[in-house]
Amino acid sequence: MNQMQPPRMKNRSVLLLIFILSVIEAWASSPQKKLAWDGSRITPVHQIPLKDELNQLIVPTESYPLPFSSRATCEPCHDYKVIQQGLHFNEATSTKPGRAGEPWIWVDEKTGTLLPLSYRNWKGIWNPKDLGLTPWDFTLLFARHMTGGGIAEPEDKDMTPASRWNVSGKLEINCMGCHNASQVQSHSEWAKQVLRENFRWAATAASGMGEVGGMSSRLKGTWDVFDGPNPDDSEWAAAPSVRYNKNLFDSKHRALFDIAYKPEDSRCLACHSAAPAEMKKFNFDEDVHSAAGLKCVACHRNDLGHAMVRGYEGEAEDNPALPAEGFTCAACHLGGKSSIRQTILPGRLGAPYPLHKGFPEVHFERLACTVCHSGPMPAKETVRVRTSRANRLGIYGVAQWATGLPAILEPVYIRDKNKKLTPHRLMWPAYWAELKEEKMSPLKPEEVLAAAGDILSPEKTVTRILTALFNIPELNGTPLLIMDGKAYELNVDGGLDASPYLGVTNKPDLFWAVKKSGKITRLVPGFNPDVPEAAAEAEALIQKILEALKNTEAAPGQPVCVYKNLLYRIVETYVDKSEFKGESQSQPQFFWLKDDQTQPFVTNFARRTIGQLTGTEQTLTEGQAELILKSLREKRPVNEAKDGNEYVYISSGKLFRLDQNDKLEAKNDDAAKPVAWPLAHQVRPARQSLGVNGCTDCHKAGSSFFFGKVTGTGPLETKNVLVRSASSFMGLTKPYYFLFGLSFTVRPVLKWILFAAAIVIGSILFLVFLLALGRLSGLIDKRS
Amino acid sequence: MLFTIITVLAVLGLSYRLTSLRFRAKTPAAGKKAAGYFPWLWSWMKSILKKETFQKGRSVVSDWIKNYYPGWTKWVFLALAASFVYQAASGLLFAIFSPRGMFGVPLLVHVSLGGLFAVSLAFALIWRARDYRLDRQEAAAFESMACPVFKNLSKSLIRKFLFWAFAAAGLCLMITALGSMVPFFSFNAQKAMIVVHRYCALVALLTALTFLDTAFLPQPQAK
Repeated sequence: MNQMQPPRMKNRSVLLLIFILSVIEAWASSPQKKLAWDGSRITPVHQIPLKDELNQLIVPTESYPLPFSSRATCEPCHDYKVIQQGLHFNEATSTKPGRAGEPWIWVDEKTGTLLPLSYRNWKGIWNPKDLGLTPWDFTLLFARHMTGGGIAEPEDKDMTPASRWNVSGKLEINCMGCHNASQVQSHSEWAKQVLRENFRWAATAASGMGEVGGMSSRLKGTWDVFDGPNPDDSEWAAAPSVRYNKNLFDSKHRALFDIAYKPEDSRCLACHSAAPAEMKKFNFDEDVHSAAGLKCVACHRNDLGHAMVRGYEGEAEDNPALPAEGFTCAACHLGGKSSIRQTILPGRLGAPYPLHKGFPEVHFERLACTVCHSGPMPAKETVRVRTSRANRLGIYGVAQWATGLPAILEPVYIRDKNKKLTPHRLMWPAYWAELKEEKMSPLKPEEVLAAAGDILSPEKTVTRILTALFNIPELNGTPLLIMDGKAYELNVDGGLDASPYLGVTNKPDLFWAVKKSGKITRLVPGFNPDVPEAAAEAEALIQKILEALKNTEAAPGQPVCVYKNLLYRIVETYVDKSEFKGESQSQPQFFWLKDDQTQPFVTNFARRTIGQLTGTEQTLTEGQAELILKSLREKRPVNEAKDGNEYVYISSGKLFRLDQNDKLEAKNDDAAKPVAWPLAHQVRPARQSLGVNGCTDCHKAGSSFFFGKVTGTGPLETKNVLVRSASSFMGLTKPYYFLFGLSFTVRPVLKWILFAAAIVIGSILFLVFLLALGRLSGLIDKRS
Repeated sequence: MLFTIITVLAVLGLSYRLTSLRFRAKTPAAGKKAAGYFPWLWSWMKSILKKETFQKGRSVVSDWIKNYYPGWTKWVFLALAASFVYQAASGLLFAIFSPRGMFGVPLLVHVSLGGLFAVSLAFALIWRARDYRLDRQEAAAFESMACPVFKNLSKSLIRKFLFWAFAAAGLCLMITALGSMVPFFSFNAQKAMIVVHRYCALVALLTALTFLDTAFLPQPQAK
């Protein structure tokens, strides 16, 4: 039968064939295939072709090659989409926030903003979306310590108009950031490149595969990577370019990636370091697990999906797909049963079995292991620590990246989801906010700056003058302002440094001076204006100074010098000397002259503010806060002026607002509560654990564990700070634990009483036993 | 949970045993029938709660104390009784009704009164041990021991047995309490000690209840 098939049947066969081929192709490229492990424990040599973001082979000898793309380079063997689901990349997409972790903290010292942010839904932490931060804004703020991917690699549809992704490129997952075994891998280079908005080049530069020059941040928003270098500007607005290290490539243009399957601890610590703020590096003890030779990833494991085991109790409930139950402290050290009744053997990786001699069971029901074994020992005051992500640690170069703020305090013991006390780190948020119908909406720093204007920069009135004076060569020294017993001079950041002034300060106690060879003299020493020969040199100096000052930025008038009853000012190109009708000055003093009225260079407000803040880590005074709140009210009127709608400032655990008399008042408010997250490291050895000295490590009257103080900190210089006891965080009754602690002073007596009583009773019972035994055996009867 | 079940069953069982003996002795017509037990129990409890019964009981206890703990030694007995009542009540109630076990001020008082209990028990033993030693006749009574023990043994022997059982349970309570306060035993050993402590407390309670029954309540004549 040779019957022709109808065309419809033919089409069906073709479609079926296409379908089968598609299935085969899909299977061949499926993640399952890529995930398969052949059982070998070696890491393959990664001599591989580099691909750019267009999936084109990179030839390092070409002109202007593109940077390598992690996605395109690693994708052939490692499913990028699967990796994107990992813990380090899924904060904006994951629906399982898990136990609270360290938030990102938006630090803006100028406006006194310390805002904890996270896309994960953690208590007390603001979602960047709610603050109007786009992925672009967020990436610019925090990419220095981000792994790339996730929010920094948005879909095209998520790119907001104000962003510059087309110039910078996306910040793909920086695989080498963790897996590069080479010591060339540089976190500082990564931070530098992302600061320059060289997102697509950052991984190449940080890995040491190539040298990257140029800055995307200086390019026009219309620039595209295909535009290549900027022919008109190779200095300022130079387009980013990469020059590969050709020694790393073979003749087939394959590059050698020195890959560590298990990342080194230093890679983790680039973003996860935490250390006491005042501690010297040599004195810092590493985690006992690290000291024993374990790597971070020995416990914090993951598969290709990069869903890392965090290791906290209850993680298995948050993420059932993880083998998390086997990696808690208790699982490795004590063993136990998993939720599916599987036996977990103790001693994993040689974990010692703790006997916990003398510890009542309640401690294990109520306390996480880390209470006794992690973080610093509790003290009367919490310890201030700095962390990589909050304080911008681990980035080295010409600029100083690390910041003092935010102040992160530890340990504070707070009940976890499983009701166990767990040591936490905490920070006190600080921010300006609009309080509308009991809803707090934080303001962005730029919004506060716009409303506050010069209120936030009183030191500029001084720094501008000092900068102008700095440019007078005839001074031959460092210009200073002597004010209220302190000498202020410019620092490298353009701010002010203060040091005590030990010289004589007759009235007025504010004058400009110059420091030469450590000796401080007045800017213009007193002279006799009536003797032209004697006055000539001083008047020439006055002319130089007035000429330098007249171009001062934001000068409110013409600079003049008043000495005795004379007024010196520049008229055209010479110094005019005229009679001064105002208050006579015993020493040459400088003023602004406006509408024939003199104004001091340093206003009383600036004087007070500079005096209060210089040399401290605080950046705001109560006076500034009051003025800013008024300014916000005037420049940004709250909509629907109902009762309770207002602007407020949060700092040091207090809410600051204007009272009915427009004066600053402080009150307690939930919005000012600290934000806390559990700490797990550094784990101390057993002999340094809490309780090793006995019950009285915690149970005594005035114990630091229960009654230590946690003091509110913040950018506002104020005495209105919240001070809480450790027990208040634990939710415990302070008097009871005081009484309970007190009982431990007589506990040794009780033990001796019990011991003596037991000896007496035991002896009598023993005698009775012997008597009964004697009678039963007839021994006593026989004797009697 | 097991401890809770055992405690409830043991206390109820003992109470039933003691009251049922009394019921049968007082109402011989009922014989072994349990039909009239609960009405009888109800009326008996009501009679106990009467003011005159309470006064009568107080005078019985007072006479007993005067007889056996003369002079200042009555304070030893009162301390022993008061501390034991609190210890037993707080310990068992928390063990049964609180999943968390004992905590807070009750625990603080429990631990503190533990010292008083230990001292007073030791003193009571020194003071009263000679009255509870076994004599030859009682030693022979062991030969006729049969279940149920309370039926066939003399009250005197039962009291002696209960006295020493209470002392042994008290010693065990002290050792387990002390053991959990000193850093010599591992966590697992301490967990075991808490369990032993609880069961000893139960034994002490049962012996004390039986002793109370035999020592203070009018004894029915078994038929």
